[in-house]
Amino acid sequence: MSVLNNAIEFKSVFKTYGDNTVVDNLNLSIPEGKITVFVGPSGCGKTTSLRMINRMVEYTSGTILVNGEDNTARPAHELRRSMGYVLQQAGLMPHRTIVDNISTVPRLNGVSARQAKSQALELLNTVGLDESFAKRYPSQLSGGQAQRVGVARALASESSILLMDEPFSAVDPVVRADLQKELLRLQSTLGRTIIFVTHDMDEAILLGDYVAVFARGGRIAQFGTPEEILREPADDFVASFVGRDRGMRRLTFASGADVPIHPLDAQQTPWQQWQLNVEDGRPAGWRIDDRVIPGGSLFVAGGTLRDALDSVLSSPSGWGVVVNEQGQVLGLLKSDDVLEATERERLNRYGVSA
Amino acid sequence: MNWLQSNLQHVGELTALHLLQSIIPVIIGTIIAVPIARFAMGRRRDGRSTERTTSAGKLRRGLVINSAALLYTIPSLALFVLMPLVLGTSITSLLNVYVALTLYVIAMMVRSAVDAFDSVSPVTLEAATAMGYRTTRRFWAVELPLAVPVMIAGLRVALVSNISMVSVGAVIGIQSLGTLFTDGLRRDLPAEIITGIVATVLLALVLDRLLALLGSFLTRWRTA
Repeated sequence: MSVLNNAIEFKSVFKTYGDNTVVDNLNLSIPEGKITVFVGPSGCGKTTSLRMINRMVEYTSGTILVNGEDNTARPAHELRRSMGYVLQQAGLMPHRTIVDNISTVPRLNGVSARQAKSQALELLNTVGLDESFAKRYPSQLSGGQAQRVGVARALASESSILLMDEPFSAVDPVVRADLQKELLRLQSTLGRTIIFVTHDMDEAILLGDYVAVFARGGRIAQFGTPEEILREPADDFVASFVGRDRGMRRLTFASGADVPIHPLDAQQTPWQQWQLNVEDGRPAGWRIDDRVIPGGSLFVAGGTLRDALDSVLSSPSGWGVVVNEQGQVLGLLKSDDVLEATERERLNRYGVSA
Repeated sequence: MNWLQSNLQHVGELTALHLLQSIIPVIIGTIIAVPIARFAMGRRRDGRSTERTTSAGKLRRGLVINSAALLYTIPSLALFVLMPLVLGTSITSLLNVYVALTLYVIAMMVRSAVDAFDSVSPVTLEAATAMGYRTTRRFWAVELPLAVPVMIAGLRVALVSNISMVSVGAVIGIQSLGTLFTDGLRRDLPAEIITGIVATVLLALVLDRLLALLGSFLTRWRTA
């Protein structure tokens, strides 16, 4: 493992409001170029900790180093312009067009209007929006689109650091999944230092290279990779927070690629009286006798073992449906095969040969 | 009709005077009222905190809004008569009207402007700060433009009520469309009185419409 530089370091940071300690002696090093997720129940100080980085909240005592420099060394507004910030509700300026919204920070930094605009148009593409959005106003966007613009605006600061405060919690689950995927895709090319706040453990596991689990009272209960946290929760609090689906979540890290796929046109249909309805190559529910029953979740080939297991468990016939990226049916998964794969994963994990 | 035709020039002059006495106080009054209102709001707390003002802030806000309301309760005629004493002007000076009506506009607009600043989403302001806006620039670039819709609504009420109030000056001899009422009454000329009423209403309608247009121009982002 290579030695990582730290982009941000919290050193004995406290934040109190009167007698109320919100952040209690925070010591944390956030590695450069990685996604670090702050996760925890509400009121645990995770958002406060994030906001202390760009001094939207001033801490009571301690030090925060940003790229090695004390973050109180320069005026707060300069510090804020030097890092991207994505808010929960996008927080776009309703009276500015999308392109002007994205240009906000470059314009504050004195970049010419023309240059800021051409950069903003590029960023629209980067976050997967068409250039036709440029002249629209925020009120004309859906929640997911607004959040994409929020991300584009944060990227426009061209800083290496991106602060994201529960950015996907206000959109519906389908859009959220899209945005999460998009963020990972972006990060694979951009390699920024991202600090991401969420209360959703699944989101933390999906996005985080590192996860800091915050406990009530503003202390960090555990810091590590998602796998480490799921494998060895540091204490009862973390164990209860990563919670009841721990076994399932573990499967997120295992590939479902080696589960055999049974072709649809196999000689005998081992799934007996169940028939998969296929329309235009896409699955369209299961037929039994004269009834058609909507299908379960689909397993996209190459996905995780967790997805594979879910496709089997949610399928009315007990057979998981495998599709490709375009949604075309590739075949079926047998529950026994999936369970065998989880068995292999378990043995692998502890280095025991079968 | 005959009366109007033979007095067209006179009516025109009075309309111009009326226009001047309506618009100038609205402009000056608004320019004074907006900073007062912003001051009354105090320093807005950013972020998720819903507790936006301290108890001192609440007191200040209540004080400003109530004094403005109190100002509005002074009868306009009394204010017109009082002005020469305070300002040392002659009783028929236009300045009396300007100052008196400006006070009324301030009384009305302070309240509207406070509501207008209140209507600006704290999330937006917080976002602006997080992007790196400093307080002054944030006020001009974000807070004020976003307060415009509610402010324009208040401004339309202030302008229309101001147009009707200008007429009162005629009682103490200040020339405006109101002069047509006092003069028509004295000389028993219904045509003159009716002309005065129609002209005042027309003036109010036209100015209100223009202000509404200005408002929708400034707030294209809302209807887009």
